[in-house]
Amino acid sequence: MDITKLEDFLDDSGVVFLSYGGRLSQDLISNMTEALEQEAEKNNVSLSASTNIFTIFVELSQNMMNYSKCKSECKGSFDPKGLVLVGYNKEDNSYYVLSRNILDSVDKDKISPKLTEIKSMNRDEVKKKYRELRRSGLDKHNQGAGIGFLEIAKRCDNIDFKFTNLNENKYQFMFQANIINK
Amino acid sequence: MENLIIDETVYTPRINLDIENGLIELVGKSYPENTFEFYKPMMDWVESYFSGNEQAKTIINFEIIYFNSSSSKLFFDFFDLIEEVTEKGKYVEINWIYDPDNDSALEAGEDFKEDFVKLNFKLVEK
Repeated sequence: MDITKLEDFLDDSGVVFLSYGGRLSQDLISNMTEALEQEAEKNNVSLSASTNIFTIFVELSQNMMNYSKCKSECKGSFDPKGLVLVGYNKEDNSYYVLSRNILDSVDKDKISPKLTEIKSMNRDEVKKKYRELRRSGLDKHNQGAGIGFLEIAKRCDNIDFKFTNLNENKYQFMFQANIINK
Repeated sequence: MENLIIDETVYTPRINLDIENGLIELVGKSYPENTFEFYKPMMDWVESYFSGNEQAKTIINFEIIYFNSSSSKLFFDFFDLIEEVTEKGKYVEINWIYDPDNDSALEAGEDFKEDFVKLNFKLVEK
């Protein structure tokens, strides 16, 4: 493989931080977060923007870690291929945190309507919903598309997501949170 | 009952639970893998402290730079517990300490303050 091609691609896409999230562990996540903290300091990212980037990065990585743990405990095939990356968009001085992994169609059906709802909400609605859910305690052990995605929505300027059908019961899930560096 | 100190790690805060000084202190980041398990010793300590071992005045200093959503839920339960004990007549002051450049930390403090109106909850700029 021509590594310069990969480097050029990463440069063009503004990728500043890349991680492979096959089998993520807590230690791996905290090491990556530390590296990300150093990167943010070096690049003079504002404290507000950087803490939001770290929170979103942690939230998405832990989501993926928990999902892969949960799946490997169940029977059936599981594709652990996942990716979390942080990029920078020069045009509007914004950062993005992007994650991608494979989901079962059952999980896609659970997550998709919740994300559609969150995406349609304004900031105040997100905050209100977040606090309601936190107060209710209902989400305590519910992993996936609960308070975690609201936490992310609260800490970024907008979100985007996409499900791509791979076969009858597998989807590729792409999620992106954009954070303006102000 | 004894004091409890839990050292800081890259993903968990330093926790200082001090009976003699009536002090409950958390400083650092919070994104443990198993949040409820991690904070269980603290929650247990706080419960026994307020079961007759407490000082006339208890100060809680909360200085969390950033945290994941399960920590957010845990902190909610923590303040809920504190609200319960204050309703039973215990005197508690909470200082939510934040860096003025960190909007999210301030916002998180404001949210807790609004959720627990009965608590003596102060937002303190670092």
